[in-house]
Amino acid sequence: MGFLSVRNLSKRFPGVQALAGVSVDIEQGSCHALMGENGAGKSTLGKILAGIYQPEEGEILFQDHVIHFQGPQDAVSVGISMVHQELLFAENMTVAENLCLGDMPRKGLWLDRKEMIRRATQWLESIGAAIDPQQILGELPISKQQLVQIAGGIGRGAKVLIFDEPTSSLSQAEALKLLDLIRDLKKKGLTCIYVSHRLEEIFAICDKVTVLRDGKLVDTVKIDGLSRDELVRMMIGRELAASLEEHATTKIGEELLRVENLASPGKFQPVSFTLHAGEILGLAGLVGAGRTEIVEALFGLDPDATGKMFVRGKQVSVRNPIEAMQRGFGLVPEDRKHHGLVLSMTAKENVSLPVLDKVATAGWIQNQRERSLAQVFFDRMRVKAPTIDSKSAGLSGGNQQKLVLAKWLAADTDVLLVDEPTRGVDVGAKAEIHNLIRGLANEGNGVLLVSSELPELLSLATRLIVMREGSMVGELPANPGEESVMRLMAGVQ
Amino acid sequence: MRSRASSFFGVQQFGLVLIILLLGVVMTIKAPSHLDRVSGHVVNNFLNPSTLIQVATDTSFFAIMAVGMTMVIISAGIDLSIGSIYALAAVLMSMQLHQMPNASPVVQVLVGIALSCGIGLVSGLINGVMVCRLGVHPFIITLGTMWVFRGIAFVETHAMSILVPESLTHFAKANLGMRRDLYPVPMVVMLVVATVGALFLRSTTWGRRIFAVGGNIEAAKYSGLPINRILTSVYVFAGLSAGIAAFVGTSFYGSASSGDAQGYELYVIASAVVGGASLNGGKGSAVGAVLGALLIVMIRQAIRTLNLDQNYEWIIIGIAIVVSVVLDRWSTVQAERRLVRARQ
Repeated sequence: MGFLSVRNLSKRFPGVQALAGVSVDIEQGSCHALMGENGAGKSTLGKILAGIYQPEEGEILFQDHVIHFQGPQDAVSVGISMVHQELLFAENMTVAENLCLGDMPRKGLWLDRKEMIRRATQWLESIGAAIDPQQILGELPISKQQLVQIAGGIGRGAKVLIFDEPTSSLSQAEALKLLDLIRDLKKKGLTCIYVSHRLEEIFAICDKVTVLRDGKLVDTVKIDGLSRDELVRMMIGRELAASLEEHATTKIGEELLRVENLASPGKFQPVSFTLHAGEILGLAGLVGAGRTEIVEALFGLDPDATGKMFVRGKQVSVRNPIEAMQRGFGLVPEDRKHHGLVLSMTAKENVSLPVLDKVATAGWIQNQRERSLAQVFFDRMRVKAPTIDSKSAGLSGGNQQKLVLAKWLAADTDVLLVDEPTRGVDVGAKAEIHNLIRGLANEGNGVLLVSSELPELLSLATRLIVMREGSMVGELPANPGEESVMRLMAGVQ
Repeated sequence: MRSRASSFFGVQQFGLVLIILLLGVVMTIKAPSHLDRVSGHVVNNFLNPSTLIQVATDTSFFAIMAVGMTMVIISAGIDLSIGSIYALAAVLMSMQLHQMPNASPVVQVLVGIALSCGIGLVSGLINGVMVCRLGVHPFIITLGTMWVFRGIAFVETHAMSILVPESLTHFAKANLGMRRDLYPVPMVVMLVVATVGALFLRSTTWGRRIFAVGGNIEAAKYSGLPINRILTSVYVFAGLSAGIAAFVGTSFYGSASSGDAQGYELYVIASAVVGGASLNGGKGSAVGAVLGALLIVMIRQAIRTLNLDQNYEWIIIGIAIVVSVVLDRWSTVQAERRLVRARQ
């Protein structure tokens, strides 16, 4: 029995089994890593331990007691705190105010500012953070905001600290400092749970690692004596043959797009690549590797982007989405609710939005032309909605995604940029979307595909570019095998 | 019957029409009657040509501006300066016409229309460019220009009332073949503006784009829409509607002053919102805006016709606005629930 244990934990989200019967023991004073690919369930497990999610099945044991959390405040009260990936703070308030948010010191009716600052100073000093408690939190760099979070957790008496991808938005130097701090905390007897997919960090600070895959427990092993290769293999796990699906043997045609030294300060380093007709170029990488940023820069959404772009051999400028569309680009964005669809409009109106001029005469929308255009792509994508006049807000995730694709099919693009096309989409719609992407390439379009699902990338892409921490680290042919991609993505030799 | 009517007006507009008709029926039944001096017949105090035209005239000035305001609200913006644009257009037009007393009536009317509409357009353009370029919420920008535009009108007129030439009054008070004491021109202008506005919003690419930008500005950007031009245009349309209303109103009443249309912005916003526009953007209707303005005027009329205590006018209008919007929200939520249930 461990200091903190979970037994048979299960958690479902609409459409996915995020965790299925997972059991883990975590020893007091250790640093325990939770690892796995994107979507393996490691963050879900961390959030259940922090009381943010409630499991459907299973129990949590802490210091030999079964505990039930209604919310994060329950976890904090027994001594479990989380350092979040996205920092959850009131950015307009001072450091001290943020640290005392749940429990403001008072003198009678009035706030006791002096006590607040004293308490904050003490907490910050306990982890050796040189931060002025009276500074506005939002003005601090991310790395310091993270320290404030850690100080708050420890100050409130945390015995267990959960770190969820803590280095994902830090520079190399900042990350090293954070790792030093975690080592210190461990020496002081604190138990750390470290959720990450960065191998170097796990090997640098952790004692044990629990590997998850598709929501299931693979194994919990000691880091001592474990090789990186073994760990990577545990994370991938699938029979390698399973991902070798048939590739449509498409003819690779002329060069549609050539990118030379495209870069955006602070987002990604210069990248150069080409995309030909009939190709599906996959962009692989971990979350935060800069893939979405590249796609947005190509579509003219990044004003800071520099570099040269050539469409069919001719140099072009793409300063905004309007120009991008004129060059024949389309973008199926990662966040379909915020960027893909106008949810207050009908399916038909969303499909025709980028191409209104095509269905209009002198600025007047021709109803019949609009309807038949929308209907064609609505049917081709097999959107399951009562009619093309249904409000898009009422459709399921998969059907909304099909609608976004239908919109760009209607726009008749040559180069389709597709960012996470099957995230939150059910299995049936997923297969249809895959077929459609293959079909588009077969028809002589070029597709640039970003996906965090390695099997999806491997089965669709005719060529792969691998990104790591904002840099292009390799280019691989079709079917390179999961292992070699994973190694490049994670930076293992 | 219901389905055809509701597809023409939209569900909420259908409800508005019902309430307005109901109010009319109640007034007709409850109102006393009087001897009409022109025709010599005994007529109902509400259901008679002059009262009905009077209600339409009172409605028209709000309603014309409410059509422009609806476009701003659909784009998720707001224009508080619309009443001030009315005053500025009215005052500058009247002062210019004062300089040309010997021009022919036709020239005077045409110059009046051009000036009033032009000043409305330019004022709206100033609002629109500032909203897009400065990145400040339109509430703040138009709160500022609300005082600036009215202030210019005040300074230019030295706080005096300015008479407009009789030619304009003849134009705005033309009988159009009706009885000589009936003035249907403001109503006709309102109907034309509402029809053009409704067709524009429903059937043009630009109208559709306004809905898209208001519904989700990010998705509109990702779809390659010219966001800044669309956003600027709605303030231009609002300014133009104020210019049209200013020409009709000033001509009808015969004079302009810097205090004209003071506080109208709130009536106009209320009309648009009662007519189904959502301050969150992406939703609204020109026909609804006119009906919203009509409902507010009808409530005021009912208080007079039914001899209710006029001191309660503001309280009743305030409650009516909140109730109608709450009902709208409620029916939207119900419709969404039905949609979700249908999916499961």
